[in-house]
Amino acid sequence: MSRVTLDALRWQEQPAQATVTVNGGAPHVYFQITAPRDVAAMCQGRPVEELPRILPILSPAHHLCAAQALDRLFGVEPPPVAKNMREALRLALFVRHHLRKFYFLVSSVEHPFTDFWSQDARRGSHSLRPLLDDLMRHGSLAQEAAIILGGRADHPVTAIAGGVSRALREEHHPRLAEIAEACRSCAERLAGFLRESVFPEGKVLGELRGLAAGPLASLTAAPEGDGLVLRDARGAEMERFAAAAVFDKVDLHREPWSHEPFAFLKAKGWQGLGATPAEGLFFVGPLARLNGGVALATPLAEAERQRLVEAIGPFPRFEVVAAYWALLVELLSAAEGLVALCQVEKLTGPVLRTIPKAPGREGHAALESPQGLICHHFRADERGLVEEVRVLDTATANNGLFGIVAQRAVEASLAQKRPWEETKKRIELSLLAY
Amino acid sequence: MSEQEFQPKIVAFLCNWCTYVAADAAGVSRFIQKPNVRAIRVNCSGMVDPSYIVKAFASGADGVLIGGCHPGDCHYISGNIKAMRRAPLLKKLLTELGVEDQRFRLRWIAASEPSHFQKTVNEMTEEVRKLGPFTRKKKNAKRSAA
Amino acid sequence: MRAEQKKKLAVYTATGCRACEQGILDLNYQVSEIGRFADPVFWPYVLGTPWEALQDGVDVALFSGAIRTEADRQAALKLREKSQLMVAVGACAAFGGLPGLADLGGGAEAPAAAAAGGAAEEDKPTLPGIEPQTLCLSQVVKVDYVVPGCPPTQNLLWAAVLALVCRGESPARLSYAAARLPEPVAEAMASGMLPPRGTTFAGEKAVCGSCSRVKEEKKFGTVKRPYQEYQETGRCLLEQGLICQGVATQEGCGGICTGVGVPCRGCFGKAPAIFDPGTKMVSAISSTFDSKDAKEISGLVDNFVDLAGTFYRYSLPAQCSLLATPDQSSETDKGCDRCRG
Repeated sequence: MSRVTLDALRWQEQPAQATVTVNGGAPHVYFQITAPRDVAAMCQGRPVEELPRILPILSPAHHLCAAQALDRLFGVEPPPVAKNMREALRLALFVRHHLRKFYFLVSSVEHPFTDFWSQDARRGSHSLRPLLDDLMRHGSLAQEAAIILGGRADHPVTAIAGGVSRALREEHHPRLAEIAEACRSCAERLAGFLRESVFPEGKVLGELRGLAAGPLASLTAAPEGDGLVLRDARGAEMERFAAAAVFDKVDLHREPWSHEPFAFLKAKGWQGLGATPAEGLFFVGPLARLNGGVALATPLAEAERQRLVEAIGPFPRFEVVAAYWALLVELLSAAEGLVALCQVEKLTGPVLRTIPKAPGREGHAALESPQGLICHHFRADERGLVEEVRVLDTATANNGLFGIVAQRAVEASLAQKRPWEETKKRIELSLLAY
Repeated sequence: MSEQEFQPKIVAFLCNWCTYVAADAAGVSRFIQKPNVRAIRVNCSGMVDPSYIVKAFASGADGVLIGGCHPGDCHYISGNIKAMRRAPLLKKLLTELGVEDQRFRLRWIAASEPSHFQKTVNEMTEEVRKLGPFTRKKKNAKRSAA
Repeated sequence: MRAEQKKKLAVYTATGCRACEQGILDLNYQVSEIGRFADPVFWPYVLGTPWEALQDGVDVALFSGAIRTEADRQAALKLREKSQLMVAVGACAAFGGLPGLADLGGGAEAPAAAAAGGAAEEDKPTLPGIEPQTLCLSQVVKVDYVVPGCPPTQNLLWAAVLALVCRGESPARLSYAAARLPEPVAEAMASGMLPPRGTTFAGEKAVCGSCSRVKEEKKFGTVKRPYQEYQETGRCLLEQGLICQGVATQEGCGGICTGVGVPCRGCFGKAPAIFDPGTKMVSAISSTFDSKDAKEISGLVDNFVDLAGTFYRYSLPAQCSLLATPDQSSETDKGCDRCRG
C-alpha cells in the first residue's frame, strides 16, 4: 500500500490536507482537517450575550447569526434600521468573500505578487495584474464597508442582542453608497473576464470544469420566514422545516482522521462517502442556493443566472464550473443588494436596539453566510450563562462534499497519470469553487 | 512520596499597626504556632494589591492570608475597607481558576489579639494541609472535535 | 526594487482562523503593494508553497495561530530555525487567543480514536497529536516581535511590515501617533533600524488612553451586562456598570470597540505595566465600590459572572499567572516580554 499526503491545501479556511492511499485498486482519498476547533468548549460558561464576539472565529457571518439567535433568546425584535445595518454587513461580507475567491482563482493563473516594476521574469506574465489589482482593491473596499457597519471586518462587534450598538455617522452614508457602486462595477468587469476565460469553455479550469460533486441534496434558508428548505438531488423540494428543528434533522458523524465532523441527514443515516448518489449527505453554499432554480430579484444577477442556464443547462447543477459561476451570480446579487440598501433613509433611525428584559433559556437562528447556510442553537441557564452551544458551520455541512470532490479530482488526475503536484492543484481549484 | 507530612507554605501579608503587632506578641509570648507562615509586613492591608496574592500562588504558595485592623480601626482610616472591597471579587476569580476557597483568607486581627493570630495561623495551616499542595491548574489532555 | 533585494517572507497560521492572513492580504492594496518589497516564498494559504520552499531561509516569518497540535509545534520550530525574524501576529500567536478559552474547564471530549492517538484501521491516516495545553508562539520558540489584536488592525500590521520588511523604504508612511506606538517603533518605521527584540507593535498605556468616551467618576453601584440598557455613546462604559477590559488592555487599536458602543474584551493583551490582567480588573472594579458593608459588597459581587472568561478572554495561555504553563527549558530563550510562562 502506498500513501501520499498532499499537505497544506491552498485557500482553505482551516488547515487541511488530502491523504491518498492506494491499496491495489482505486485510490482512496481522505480530506482531513488537521486542527481542532473547540467552539463548544470555548463557549461553555460564557455569558450568552458574548457569543456574537466569540463565534466569528468560525467566520464573520457567525456574528450576525449569533445576534439573531440572541434576539430569540431574549425575546426581542430588532428595529428596522438595525435589521438593515445587519443585512448590509452580511452583504458586504458576501462581496468580500466572493471577491477573495476569484482573486485566488486568478492567482492560480498568474502569481499575485509579481512586482510589475521589477519585471520579475521568473514569475511569468503580468497580463492579469490589472485584474488582480482590481479585485484586491474592491476586496479592501468591501472590508472598509464591513468595518463601518461592524466595527471590524473579520471579528465584527456591532450586532448585539436586540439590534446594533451604534449609529452610522453622517460621513459613512455617502462612503457606503460609493463603495457599493464601486463593488458592483468591479463585479461586472470580473464577469466579463470570467465569461471570456473561465466559463464555459475557457482555458483556466481545463478538465476540472466538468468535475461534478453530486448529485447531492442541498440545504438552504427559505426566502421568507424562519424555515429551511431541503431539496433532493434533482432539485425538488423534499422538506421544509423550522430552523429550530435543524438539529433534529441533521446529525454529525465523526471519523478519527479528521477533526471536522460530517453532517448528514438523520432520516437517511450515515452511508459513507463512497456511494453515488450520496444518499444522506447534503451541501450548502452558493450553488446549493441556486439549485432551487428560483429567479433572482436583482437584474445583473438574474441576467447572469440566465446565462449560466443557457450555457450549461438548468438547475440543479453540481459541477465545478457551475459552482464558480454561482459565486459570480451571488457576487453580483450581493453588490446590487448593497447598492439598494446603502441609502441614508434605510440606515438611519431613532432607535437602534430593542432593550431585552431578561434572558430566556433557548435561542436559535439560521443565516445564509457567504460560504453557505449556518445554524446556531444556544441553551442558557437562569443567569444567562451558556450551558450548550450547537453550531452547524459550513465546514461541517460541506465536509462530505469536499471529501467527494477531492476523491473525484484525484481519481481523474491519477487516471491521466498526472504528477502529484498537479493533482494537488486540481484538488485546490475544485474545492475553492464550493 | 515523602515520608514527612506535607508542609504547606503560607504567605501572610500582615498590617504593620495591628496584625503584625499581634503576631509579634504571639511570638514573644511563645504561643505554640505552626511554623508554616512566611510573614510580609505591609503598612496597611489596603496596600495588598490582588496581584500580590496571585503572584504568591503562582510562585508556590499553598495559602495566602491577609491580616488587617478591624473596620473602623485602620491607622489610615479606611485602608482596610479597600481590602474588604477587593476580597470577594478576588475570591470569585480565584475560584474560577481552581484555587479552593479555603486557601485565601482575609482576617481582622487587632494588636491586642495575639491569641486570635495564633488560632488563625494554626487553623489555616491544618485546613490548607488537608487541601494539599496548590498546583497551577493542569489542563485535561482531552479535546472536543468541534 | 530588484528581485534579489526583496525581503523573503513566510506567512503561516497554526490553529485559529484566517483573519490575520486575510489582514495581511488586504495590506497589499490598502496601504502599499507588499509585492514591491517582499517576496513571499512560503505562504501555504495563498500560494500553496510546500515546506521545501523554506530551505534557503527567510528574512521575516509572520506566524499567526495558537499552538494546539504537534503539527503546529513542528511548524513553529521549523519556521524559527529558518527565519531571521519571527513575528507573532494576532492574539493567538501573541498570547493564546480565543482557542485558549477551551482550557477553562469546558469539559471537552476528544473524538474516540483521536484521543487514543492511533488509527483504528491500518490504511486510514492519522491526525497530528494534540498538545495538552493551548500555547502561544513564545511558549514554544523565541519570538522577536509581536503584533497583537484579534485581528491586528491594518495600521499596526503595516507598521510591522514597514519596520521589519520594508525597513522604512516604502513611501506609504503611517503617523505613529495614530496608533500611539512607542518611539523605538516609530524610528524603525522611518529609518529601518530594527526596534529592540521583543518589542510589541502596540501602544504603551491602556486602551483608556485612546478611548474617545467621556470619563467622569468611577462608581460601580450595580453591575450591568451588555444586553441591558446603557448609553452606547458618550460616557465611559466602566462608569456605567459594564465590565470593560480597556483598563487592563494594551492600547493600539484606537479604541475600536468602545468607539462602536461595545465594551473592550482585551484582544490586545495586557497593558505592559500590568502583572496580570485579571487581578488588575479585580482591583480596578472593586476600588469603585462605595459600600463599607461586607454583606452588601458580597451581594454586589454575586452579580458578576464568568470573571475568568472575561478577564482572560484572549490571553489565558500566556497572561493568566495561575494557569500559565510551567517554565520552558532554558534552550527556548524567550525574548518576548508578553508572557508569564
